[in-house]
Amino acid sequence: MFMVYFHLALGLASLPEAQKLVTPVYPQIDVLIARSIPKDQLAAVTVSSDAEFLRRLYLDLLGTIPTAQEARAFLNDRSINKRARLIDQLLAKPEHARHLSHVVDVMLMDRRPDQRVPTTEWREYLLRAFAENRPWDQLIREILSTDGSDPKTRPAAKFLLDRDGEANQITRDVSRLFFGRNLQCAQCHDHPLVNDYKQEHYYGLAAFFNRTTLFPNAEDKKGILVEKAEGEVSFQDVFDKAKKVRTTKPRLISLTAISEPTFEKGKEYKVPPKKGEKPQPVFSRRAQLAPLLTSKDNQAFARATVNRFWAMLMGRGLIHPLDLDNSENLPSHPAILELLTKEFIAHRYNLRWLVREITLSQSYQRSSEVPLELKEIDPSKWVVAPLKPLSPEQLAFAMMQATGLTDAERIDLGTKYTEATLYAKLNSQVPSFVSTFGTRPGEPEGLSFLATLEQSLFLKNGSQLRSWLSIRNANLMDRLVKLKDDTQITDELFLSILTRLPSLEERTEVIKMLQTTPASQRQATLSELSWSLLTSVEFRFNH
Amino acid sequence: MQPCTYQCGTKDHLHSRRAFLMGTAVGALGFAGMTTSASAQSLKQSQKRVLVINLAGGVSQLESWDPKPGTDTGGPFRAIKTSVPGIHICELLPYTAKQMHRLALVRGLNTAEDDHGKGDYIMHTGRRKEPAFDYPHLGSVASKLLSPAESSLPGYLHITPSGGSSFGKQDAAFLGPRFASVTMANGQPPPNLFAPKNLNPSADQQREYLRSQLNQRFQRSRRSAQTEAYTASFDQAEQFMKQAHIFDTSKEDPRLADRYGKHDFGRHCLMARRLLEHGATFVKVTHSNYDTHHENFDFHIEQLGEFDRSFATLIEDLADRGLWSSTLVIVISEFGRTPRINHLYGRDHWSKAWSIVMGGCGIQAGVVTGKTNANGTAVTDREVHGGHLFHTYYRALGLNPAKNLHTPDERPIPLADPLASAIKELLV
Repeated sequence: MFMVYFHLALGLASLPEAQKLVTPVYPQIDVLIARSIPKDQLAAVTVSSDAEFLRRLYLDLLGTIPTAQEARAFLNDRSINKRARLIDQLLAKPEHARHLSHVVDVMLMDRRPDQRVPTTEWREYLLRAFAENRPWDQLIREILSTDGSDPKTRPAAKFLLDRDGEANQITRDVSRLFFGRNLQCAQCHDHPLVNDYKQEHYYGLAAFFNRTTLFPNAEDKKGILVEKAEGEVSFQDVFDKAKKVRTTKPRLISLTAISEPTFEKGKEYKVPPKKGEKPQPVFSRRAQLAPLLTSKDNQAFARATVNRFWAMLMGRGLIHPLDLDNSENLPSHPAILELLTKEFIAHRYNLRWLVREITLSQSYQRSSEVPLELKEIDPSKWVVAPLKPLSPEQLAFAMMQATGLTDAERIDLGTKYTEATLYAKLNSQVPSFVSTFGTRPGEPEGLSFLATLEQSLFLKNGSQLRSWLSIRNANLMDRLVKLKDDTQITDELFLSILTRLPSLEERTEVIKMLQTTPASQRQATLSELSWSLLTSVEFRFNH
Repeated sequence: MQPCTYQCGTKDHLHSRRAFLMGTAVGALGFAGMTTSASAQSLKQSQKRVLVINLAGGVSQLESWDPKPGTDTGGPFRAIKTSVPGIHICELLPYTAKQMHRLALVRGLNTAEDDHGKGDYIMHTGRRKEPAFDYPHLGSVASKLLSPAESSLPGYLHITPSGGSSFGKQDAAFLGPRFASVTMANGQPPPNLFAPKNLNPSADQQREYLRSQLNQRFQRSRRSAQTEAYTASFDQAEQFMKQAHIFDTSKEDPRLADRYGKHDFGRHCLMARRLLEHGATFVKVTHSNYDTHHENFDFHIEQLGEFDRSFATLIEDLADRGLWSSTLVIVISEFGRTPRINHLYGRDHWSKAWSIVMGGCGIQAGVVTGKTNANGTAVTDREVHGGHLFHTYYRALGLNPAKNLHTPDERPIPLADPLASAIKELLV
């Protein structure tokens, strides 16, 4: 316990002056987490090493690992507030916005194939939003209320357009992503296992979209969302012997149905439906959702958001699984979830604030090593930091960074180098990683981890990774073959790939391998040893 | 040949008929001696396998399993006797006719779906397509439920006529990519099966040694089910690579190999036999293309000419090697073809009254179920749909069709459509 508070105090001291005026939330997180840890496990609570923290933070905030040079600089930095400073530095980088554009794309679109809005344009849109730290509520309002008719704002409509504007597809994902409740079962009947999930909740959400269709038709790739002025949802429980048909007006899960204006017959439309013309009702059901969902009265929205970004950083939601928020599946730390929800709203849905608070916490900055004397550790107590599998994008970018492809491409770009030009080059290498390591398109990726034969063959025998391990200007192999001293080589190898120096044991092992290698085989051996580090468990996970 | 005016989405409509005929002949066959199949004998008798032959595009039931010679819809071909007295099939299948005592015909199939994609979905999942939910393919379910734990081969292998070899994802639906199909395009092995050419064995050993050292060290204090799964996937790759010889048909005795026919489909059937005898759980061979909106009869002469002998040889070989009674064999299509012959001498999509074939594991041999009327326009007896077929498959394999699979969010999904039941008269 002493240690927790000790570091907690250090964390506070390290805050920049301007930040001290606002009461930080992260010390409260640490107190609440520490309180939940069983006494006999408190000894296990240790702070991560600088190397561990550095790699973790880069992967979480930038989606890649640091270069050997960046790692050396951080490890050699003796200043006491270097962790907090690094957090602020990384949050301000364009690479952070880029990483969030990947994360949120996958979160909202589940890697489904493009239908009506190309992923590149959608990601550009997200990138701009995260670069200016657009409030999360505003972003989601845009996404749920854009109809796709204005080319300038059309990318924002991808969420709805690429779900074919179809009420069931949209309802499932709106309930999951913005309420933290997977209501899919409630499409056909009340949820059999979760008492809170009712069929009228599902259809209450669906009713915001039941009048929406695609114009001019579903086949047109440039189609937009339009709406009729009439049509009600009706539903019956498939288990109901009486086959009673029910109906509902649009309503958010926890709230009562909205009141709808009534119109005289013939006055429901600004533009009535006519062949070839887009209809426009006076009252739009769809337009009601975004403001209601993101209003301060609907805490569920902020709560689901906080839980998702907590899970991104902490490897597991405060509510677990992410989409099963209900009265019989309570959060592991209700007080933390309430605190962050309240503060996230008070900070105007500022995502950067949320990420900063969590990463500043000692709970985030723990070591992932489990002391040998502890057998069972409850992952919902964060006694140690979790192992988080790298996403396909993280894996690809981290491997490109480690092998120095990133450096080589940057140098090739010369004066044309910007974050965007370099990204364009590197991103062309990513699709094979996504198809090999990603989940099935259309399925929520969440925190899932799969290890498949396809992946191990790709890493063992595939030509892509192999090509990155041949010599190219300023890449890892180029640097290694130019170094003469085996100790230096070993250090460079570990620092570049695993973001740490080798242990004594490891250094001895590698040096021995190098010294028993004939000169003609040296380069080949160096590239195979790099491969060993790249395919190690340590590399595959954010630890 | 005139371009096809039908718009049903298969690109094969545009292919010339010649292209079907010109499938490359089998290449070098080598001089290896007789291949004894020691591995077949060593296979555990308890292992159940599935072989699916998928006649893509929609084979005509009238030119195959349910001929109606001499009627307005019957077309030019005769019906011939088979090895089972009383059962007649189309004269385009003389070799298969001799194997009828091993097979069972389902002639009362009504799948009520004339779209290629949706029909294919029914025949692979036993369900109709639903918005926002996917069911896993039979191959993925078999892979999950029937593959021996120690098997180093992917559970669901799909040999296609063309395209690129790849690992699939979609067809396993919620079961996850581990159970998805691995495509062997034109019989080629899955991607990245072979070690890089410039990796010498000693360097390979060295890199594997260092990898395992690093993993051991890391996992001393950070072991989890996920880290174990990751390291195990490398062991699996190594085991699989050791089996690479299975994918090499060049060592087959040419005299035995030639019985399959010197064309792609023959070679693919031979590959299927090799995979099954080396312990593969589910093998699907797709033969393309039967979408005969024009020149239906010429096409069927050519296509079934390839199919007939290769299929019959495969049956014979599976039986000879003691695999027949443990292998469920199914011949499917996405639907049949219209009894009415159109003005281009073609037949169109037709799902109301068509046929499939099964045999082997758990299936009564030499029987027929279902019946169509005199000119094949309607089912008159024992009508069944996709759900019935899947109940039958699962029962034949010794699996309970009411058993639940679970989605990642724990939603129970019964193996087969709860509203259907097995075709009992087909089960042993």
